[in-house]
Amino acid sequence: MAAHQSSEWRTVCEKFRLAQDLSEVESRKDPENNPFRSKYKARDLLKEIHCSLKKIQIEEEGEADSESRQMVDEGAGNECGKSCSGDSPAGLGAARLAVLQYYLGVNHIETEELSAGEQHLMNCLKLIDKCTTTRENVSLFIQARNQLGILWAGRDEIEKAQGFLEIAESMYLLYMREDGQPPLDLQDFFVLEGEELSQQEKTRSRFEMAYTHTLYYLAQVYKNLEQYERAGQYCHSTLQRQLEYKQFVPLEWAINAATLSQYYITKTRYMEARHCLAAASVIATLAGEIPSEAAAKESDAECEKREELLQKRSEIARCWIKYCLNLMQDAKKLLEDNIGELDLDRQEELKRARRNVEEEKEKGRKSAILFGSSDTFDSICSLEEKVSSMLPLDFEEARSIFLVGQSYVAQAKEYFAMDGHVTDHIEILQDHSALFKVLAFFEQDLERRCKMHKRRVDMLEPVCKDLNAQYYLLICRQLQFELAETYYEMMDLKLAVADKQDQPDVHTIKKFNNLCSSSMKYYQMFLDSIRSPEGKFPEKLEDDLLRPALVAKFRVARLQSKLISSNLATQLENLTHSLESYNFVVQYCEENPEAKNAVETELELSSEMVSLLPLKINRIRSKIASCN
Amino acid sequence: MASSSVKVAVRVRPFNSRETNRGAKCVIQMQDKSTCIINPKQPKDAPKNFTFDYSYWSHSSEEDPSFASQGKVYQDIGEEMLLHAFEGYNVCIFAYGQTGAGKSYTMMGKQDPGQQGIIPQMCEDLFRQTAENTDPDLSFSVEVSYMEIYCERVRDLLNPKSRGSLRVREHPIMGPYVEDLSKMAVTNYSDIADLMDTGNKARTVAATNMNETSSRSHAVFTILFTQRRHDHMTSLDTEKVSKISLVDLAGSERADSSGARGMRLKEGANINKSLTTLGKVISALADMQGTKKRRSDFIPYRDSVLTWLLRENLGGNSRTAMIAALSPADINYEETLSTLRYADRAKQIKCNAVINEDPNARLVRELKEEVNRLKELLLSQGLSNLITASGEHPHVFTPVINTRLRRSQCTETEKIIAELNETWEEKLRKTDSIRQEREALLAEMGVSVKEDGGTVGVFSPKRTPHLVNLNEDPLMSECLIYYIKDGVTRVGQEDVDIRLSGQFIKELHCVFCSEVSENNEGESDHVTFLTFTVSHKCKRYVTKDFCAFE
Repeated sequence: MAAHQSSEWRTVCEKFRLAQDLSEVESRKDPENNPFRSKYKARDLLKEIHCSLKKIQIEEEGEADSESRQMVDEGAGNECGKSCSGDSPAGLGAARLAVLQYYLGVNHIETEELSAGEQHLMNCLKLIDKCTTTRENVSLFIQARNQLGILWAGRDEIEKAQGFLEIAESMYLLYMREDGQPPLDLQDFFVLEGEELSQQEKTRSRFEMAYTHTLYYLAQVYKNLEQYERAGQYCHSTLQRQLEYKQFVPLEWAINAATLSQYYITKTRYMEARHCLAAASVIATLAGEIPSEAAAKESDAECEKREELLQKRSEIARCWIKYCLNLMQDAKKLLEDNIGELDLDRQEELKRARRNVEEEKEKGRKSAILFGSSDTFDSICSLEEKVSSMLPLDFEEARSIFLVGQSYVAQAKEYFAMDGHVTDHIEILQDHSALFKVLAFFEQDLERRCKMHKRRVDMLEPVCKDLNAQYYLLICRQLQFELAETYYEMMDLKLAVADKQDQPDVHTIKKFNNLCSSSMKYYQMFLDSIRSPEGKFPEKLEDDLLRPALVAKFRVARLQSKLISSNLATQLENLTHSLESYNFVVQYCEENPEAKNAVETELELSSEMVSLLPLKINRIRSKIASCN
Repeated sequence: MASSSVKVAVRVRPFNSRETNRGAKCVIQMQDKSTCIINPKQPKDAPKNFTFDYSYWSHSSEEDPSFASQGKVYQDIGEEMLLHAFEGYNVCIFAYGQTGAGKSYTMMGKQDPGQQGIIPQMCEDLFRQTAENTDPDLSFSVEVSYMEIYCERVRDLLNPKSRGSLRVREHPIMGPYVEDLSKMAVTNYSDIADLMDTGNKARTVAATNMNETSSRSHAVFTILFTQRRHDHMTSLDTEKVSKISLVDLAGSERADSSGARGMRLKEGANINKSLTTLGKVISALADMQGTKKRRSDFIPYRDSVLTWLLRENLGGNSRTAMIAALSPADINYEETLSTLRYADRAKQIKCNAVINEDPNARLVRELKEEVNRLKELLLSQGLSNLITASGEHPHVFTPVINTRLRRSQCTETEKIIAELNETWEEKLRKTDSIRQEREALLAEMGVSVKEDGGTVGVFSPKRTPHLVNLNEDPLMSECLIYYIKDGVTRVGQEDVDIRLSGQFIKELHCVFCSEVSENNEGESDHVTFLTFTVSHKCKRYVTKDFCAFE
């Protein structure tokens, strides 16, 4: 390699460095009307280097073995094997040319000349494919394939992209298994002898980063191929590697992990979700102390930092809330009978099944997902232990998850206060309410259950009253509907409690009637929100309101007939209202037959009631008549 | 009118001089509401068709009968939006499209007559209509603000002193707002025009400083329109406030780099290169899973400031229009196609705030039972024809003879079902009827019960002669009241009016004769005389005392 000392080589190295600089640094300052100016300059330099390199190579080859020249130049290798070793002088020469091809390829792609870029990258691959994989070319191998992956994905040929990336993936795994030496960095092909090579640690890190990107690109490829499971898995691996090689911004990483937990939740993989969340909470603390309020007042930077840290931590807390909530709700789905009550046989069965779960299997699954950075590992584990990742099967288990969820509610509300964060604040309240609702499912004592629903009313009712529907219409509707349903639930519970008494007393009846009326009031408010400013109910309901509106009417009808009164005239009035509401449902569906599918059961029952209620009404009428 | 989500219009402009010089070809065709685009590279491919609420052909000139002028666009979109503003709705008009596709022309237009865009026409219209108002109790006020969103930072374009980024916040009553954003009161259109001009200048200056063009930022011009009505009866003022937002979206080709995430619905299989976008990929993954069912997760990626500020405009209690500006030239084919796709998707923009309802299962079961109960009731009343006539319930098509048979079976079932599903009302009714039965029984015995079910204590009917029991135990004394009817009241063990039982009670113990005599004034009821007769030779009176009444 005597030539490396020549002035010609010196020029090559300088040009290379200049090209790098133009491409990475200078290009950012390019004007809008000539956005690729520096990139083009860099390209010219790369081309010049390529020429010089060819020249140097020919000179060298004059001295060297002609056999290897042939192999490099003409690619006359034998098809099934590699024609030369990656670490031989010929292999190194080929790799050097390949590096140039790689940079030329990237340059063309960046300047939107995709076909030319592709050509250069393919040249690059052709050059190194002739050699065995060694520390000299493995990094180049992976990076060139990463680029081709991106290129083909951009052309909507996902399978082709997948092919390149998957080979890069297996190449990395193979290299790490069989060789594992720190690979040569792409930059280090063009340095003068005696000049410092990049530090090994840096090289390693860059190499690992390239592979992390491979995984990240594969995640996107799988997502586009609708293989969501694999996509999730590759996102997870990407996060793992970022942590392992300390290539992450704490807050950003934490939010990503927290978001991934939400993906796992939708897949009901709670162990993974919990691990992500625990890691998110722990890594978020690495972002530093939250500046005090006083400090925030002093400087804008501190203020912004405080704001950001508080916000992100609250967001992670909100992800935790969803975790607790979904865990409980999924358990409920398993445990409930066909009218939403706890099925005791089912509970027994599940408890028995759980005892038989092979814990070993769980552990195996777990080791694959661990975020293993030694300094944070213990804190992550201890945070995990604070909440179960198993579906709760009885009240005690549900309660402990509920309490964790509730503590995160408090935490999230601190930042997302009503003042300034109306929507977020209410969403948190809705989650809090949902936590109570699902906890109530596990509660067997009806009075206590009723109290839990009362808590929901207490937290939602004031908010619902204060909100301006002009800006928060959708939230208002959600709140009205939920309040109506909660009151309905309470009414049902009161009824069940009173059923156990021999005789309903006046007080109970009054309470019962009040609950009915409150429920009706909120259903009515919801229905009124659909009216036009002139107070007209739309002839045709929008798709997303169709079912809720008709269900609301249907429930109002039921409630009206449930009101208790010993006065016949009042009874008559209530039943007449009820009939009107049932009639509304039936008539709407007659006028809009497409609505029938949305409310099949409700419609069927409403029609029955419309034909039967008059009988009841007539009986009362005749009673009234006979009394007079 | 249906509160449909977003009205979408597209508009194609004429060639500019550069395009004409280069001999550009027009790739857009329009007919009625539909727009189609031809791929200049594959002219044999079928053109892609899109249908919108409006497709405006402004590629030709006024002479062309199908030409859509500024006035036409305003009539269709502006007038309707203004009407909604008067009704008290929030309204919003978006302009979207590649830089140079004619967004500004549609929104702002030129000063020349007939060349003004939607914003000036709407403002003029607004002031004209408020000026025409003759109602002394109705007053109006108009305030405007103008801001720019660049890289998720909000800047006040009307306040030269405002520096840095403003915070976006929400208020329960006032809705989403930008903290410290200046609001200028205006009284006529020229005020607005001046402010807009000032704002546009500020925007240009800032853009030059940052070495950017304004095409990377969104501009939001907001008109806050308040209608105040004074009520003489209560001497109170009521206000109707509506917000008119006019949004110039960043050039679509730059939308991604200007952080218009959320507003841009980019498709395709592109791979993001940088790991800084990992969050985007993960959140998309979580999002995809979540939307299938109801939303059960929380994705901690903040919407872009713009979507956040305008989220109620995208499917809430407001009226929204979007105008996509199209370039006709073949060279812009890709970009124009993506603009059309975007506009096409904008039709379906919905807020994801859905109403989650509780399952109806229990209610349904309850109601089914009631339905059955009522049907049984009908049957037992022999009114089955009523049901069969409706033809909906084949299972009750039973011949009349069988019905009778069934009835007896049914009454048993009915009783069981009825007991199981007794409603509160029925319980109440039952309680009541039990009480009535008890009273009837007592009445039969000649004992009167006070309305509340017999409280202990002296209870003396004022106008009826009666007997009360006495007992050594004061608690049991005077608990029973025996009325003495007009005419003959027989007391004894059997076949009598007042039934007493006891060792010393004869079969016919005694007879009371009560006569009503009229007093002097001819009132019928006040004086009662009693005749007391003892049959047989009974020595002791069981009734130890009797009361004679006034």
